[in-house]
Amino acid sequence: MDAKKIIDSISTEFPDSISNTLIDSDIRISAYVSASDVVNVCKYLKDNLQFDHLSCESVVDYIDRDELENVYHIASYIHPVVLTLKAILPRDNPEIESIVEVYWNANWYERENYELFGVKYINHPDLRHLVLPEEMLGEWPLRKDYEGFPQNTAKNLV
Amino acid sequence: MFDKTSPSEMIVHIGPQHPMQPGPYRLNVKLHGESVVDLDVEVGYIHKGIEKILESKTYLQGITIVDRMCYLAALSNEEVFCGCVERLAGIEPTPRSKYIRVIAEELSRMQSHLLGFGEFGHFIGYSSMFMFTIKDREDVLTLIEMLTGARITHSYLRFGGVRGDIPEGFEEKCDEVFKSVRKACDEYEGLLKSDTVFKERSVGVGVLTPEIAKEYGVAGPALRATGVPFDIRRNEPYLVYDELDFNVCTQKEGDIFARIKVRIDEIRESMYIIEQALDQLPKGPLFPEGTPYSKRTPVMRVPQGEVFFRVEDPRGEMGMYMVSDGSDKPHRVKVRGPVFPTMQALPPLIRGESIADVTAIAGSMDGCTSEVDR
Repeated sequence: MDAKKIIDSISTEFPDSISNTLIDSDIRISAYVSASDVVNVCKYLKDNLQFDHLSCESVVDYIDRDELENVYHIASYIHPVVLTLKAILPRDNPEIESIVEVYWNANWYERENYELFGVKYINHPDLRHLVLPEEMLGEWPLRKDYEGFPQNTAKNLV
Repeated sequence: MFDKTSPSEMIVHIGPQHPMQPGPYRLNVKLHGESVVDLDVEVGYIHKGIEKILESKTYLQGITIVDRMCYLAALSNEEVFCGCVERLAGIEPTPRSKYIRVIAEELSRMQSHLLGFGEFGHFIGYSSMFMFTIKDREDVLTLIEMLTGARITHSYLRFGGVRGDIPEGFEEKCDEVFKSVRKACDEYEGLLKSDTVFKERSVGVGVLTPEIAKEYGVAGPALRATGVPFDIRRNEPYLVYDELDFNVCTQKEGDIFARIKVRIDEIRESMYIIEQALDQLPKGPLFPEGTPYSKRTPVMRVPQGEVFFRVEDPRGEMGMYMVSDGSDKPHRVKVRGPVFPTMQALPPLIRGESIADVTAIAGSMDGCTSEVDR
């Protein structure tokens, strides 16, 4: 499948929610998506454009812009194109619809993003801690303004 | 975690430390009689925060850190990290170093698979298999040690090249080791095919269909054992894989036996790739000439940008998403390991099976907990 065709297809289908599309190379394309429309876009990608594989879901903290970016890397078992979808969220109280109903394996990625960045996934079947202990929820350790553990360790020692 | 709902049910915890597990993770198994009603996987026992550590280290220091993500695939981890930086900074490795990287990574695939299916033999009570394969793995590790100077964590790759050239006598040693590994592979295959106990435990157990495997995102040999010929080396060639001849090993059945068979075939295929690479090895420098990149690259600033790069780890699709803000340290690194989705697929795969098959199915995935937790 051709990178340009994919970009044209999603921008004509979702003119309001897809913006800033970019063709990086033959196999890497990216686009911004509005946070409210993520599930519909993913459904369309899976059903119509052979994007049947969620490769990765992650969050990047842009503290200068006071924003978080929820990044989806959607790939395919059939063609080598990887689409990078980004949704911009506010840093305080970020919320976005979960895509577990479209891509089953988003489950753990979203749980990890929740405990590391504090992004709340609406309609997630089982949103709880994954690799960190439960007490660390609320610290959001991968955010740039996380102060680290020295004071926490000292607190535990006293 | 779940609660018991009836008196005929029982909850058994397998792990975090259990002789039948490749690393620390916990399986909370809800049983009704001997069959598994529900299963919950708990990970995080060796969470190292590697993604956070990488944000506070310079790019060169990062190579040493990513080594520690999975000790069985250290060279693939280095490849994905260096590949990201090279794409961001616009460095093109020299042809000779590309071939040397292929040799190193295929050797690492061989030792990982040898341990993988040897360990699986141990999980189902066939401990001799582990003793056999660990001997062959030693020989392969000796080759890696000759090349990189270390056995487990190498820090061998550099941006634009590799740290050292192929040593004297490496090719002869390869011939010698490959001869014995080839013989051993044939022997293991014969053993596994003729052993009735092993067949009972593995044929038709833990069956994955191609549709389910794709849906769950299962990667690597477990996916190829269902008949899906998905291999990053073929689908999205990096280094010099498009100049080399190799097969993507697949099987149709999708059960445990098929996974083991894919691994044995891949060991053979890796040896074939290394032999080709040694034959075609071009002469020339290890680092691109006229650039500052060398064994000891000084502090480098990487231009602003972002990249998503994938390589084929011994366990499947390994990806890395790197965002650079133009400084000497990455702004964000996300590691997409191959075992993370595979571990996630354990509950639906094991539900309904008998308790005796739990470790067999979990073990046949060749999971590396260190990489799931990072």
